Amino acid sequence: MQELLRAHQLVKDFRGTRAVDGVDFALHEGERLGLLGPNGAGKTTTLFMLLGIIEPDAGWVEVAGHRMPKGRSEAMMNIGFSAGYMPLPDRLRVSELLRMYGELYGMADPRPQIEAGLERFHISHLGRAMGNELSSGQRTLVGIVKATLHRPKVLVLDEPTASLDPDVALQVREGLAELCGEGRMSLLITSHNMREIESLCDRVIFLSAGRVVADNAPRAVAEQFGRGDLEGVFLQLAADKLLIPRSQETDRPAS
Amino acid sequence: MSGRSLSWLRIRSVARRHAYVLRRGPHRLFDVTVWPVVDVLLFGSIGAFVSRQPGVGHTAYGYLLTGIVLWHVVYQSQIALSTGVLEETWSRHILSLMVTPMTEIEYAAGVALFGLVKLALGVGLVALVAALAFAFNVTTLGWGLVPVMVILLVTGWVISLFVIGCMFRFGNGAEALTWGVLFAVLPLSGVFYPVSALPALVRPIALVLPTTHAFDAGRALVDGRGMQWDQIIIAALSTVAFGLLAVGFLARMMKIFRRRGYISRYT
Repeated sequence: MQELLRAHQLVKDFRGTRAVDGVDFALHEGERLGLLGPNGAGKTTTLFMLLGIIEPDAGWVEVAGHRMPKGRSEAMMNIGFSAGYMPLPDRLRVSELLRMYGELYGMADPRPQIEAGLERFHISHLGRAMGNELSSGQRTLVGIVKATLHRPKVLVLDEPTASLDPDVALQVREGLAELCGEGRMSLLITSHNMREIESLCDRVIFLSAGRVVADNAPRAVAEQFGRGDLEGVFLQLAADKLLIPRSQETDRPAS
Repeated sequence: MSGRSLSWLRIRSVARRHAYVLRRGPHRLFDVTVWPVVDVLLFGSIGAFVSRQPGVGHTAYGYLLTGIVLWHVVYQSQIALSTGVLEETWSRHILSLMVTPMTEIEYAAGVALFGLVKLALGVGLVALVAALAFAFNVTTLGWGLVPVMVILLVTGWVISLFVIGCMFRFGNGAEALTWGVLFAVLPLSGVFYPVSALPALVRPIALVLPTTHAFDAGRALVDGRGMQWDQIIIAALSTVAFGLLAVGFLARMMKIFRRRGYISRYT
């Protein structure tokens, strides 16, 4: 399988605290990878380094053969990103926002893709709605449509279903499974919902204190930790984290 | 399509996004309607009053009104570009934009492109109010105004690059510079008076600013002295020098932004 994304020995410190410590993995074509770990494990910092928004102190990132930061623009042509905490910009209708993003990804007329994307997540009726009028669930769905308009090789999602009602979260999961099943799109997703990850991903990486502590199929990782499922692994790592002094805890970069 | 090539599609898309913002945020029109009218009324009235005093010629009137019309070229181009970026921070839209293939140059070009529309609105309004309220027609100064305005337009963008760099580096606290920096540039640029009228201490600063020489050339047109190409050339060279500095400064601030993970301010 073709390697689409490579994180090589990524290291990131914030004010003397190591947030990411030698993270090293590859994502292959068609793979669905869950990046997991307790709060402060370094998931978002790792994702932001993969997306070129945060510069690593050491290591490098390559997407579809384009090394960052030099090849950032070309690399981003191959990635779609959405996060549960990303609001939609004010004063734009959903259709206008999606058209804008289609054009940013080089699509001269993205309307067919917009219609298909909205249809996939059963939100065609939201096309005329203003972005700031949507519920958090609707925002998430629109965000995923936005991230997949250009049929990226890699879809990166940070906490896509956080704070969503179970029915909307299910809608998201079904849409994602359909998307990934249709083509060879790879998925890199973070979530605190372990059942969601078990149902979506064929491989998981657990981070703890910025380090990769497990990298395997969900069942194999659970077995590695002597637990029945990923939830058990997560709880164990979260409990271990309590033993780490507060000063060594890592989280998203300080503002 | 390559991600690297400068894309007109992306530039146009960003410009259209900001057109929607202006259309749906009437308070955003303040910068292109209210302030221009207030400025021209203020300086036009001062000019009218001063020119009626014994021993004072009508030229003072022309200086003030030409000065304020030309000042709005700097003001509108600077504000349009800076508030364009601010709009993305207010909407928490920076992260979304930064994960697209769009380059910083394409984004700035898109905002600046729509900024030209705002500039035309703002400067057009100033010129119109000056004509209607004070019977002062700025176009009588002739084609010589064109190079002066081009330099002021580009200088506005250059100032904006410094402001944007500060916003990325220092966060929302630097927003005040968007409007505040112009209050420093205005008196130093000799918008309404020659550099010789400034205190000797600040004259060296004034002389390195491109705006100072552009306004000087503008005043020469009011006086009927014709085009002062030497001033235009100095202004152009100074604009290029400050432009290079601004680009370098912004690139440095963006690097710090990425290195220190300041994106977390906007997520």
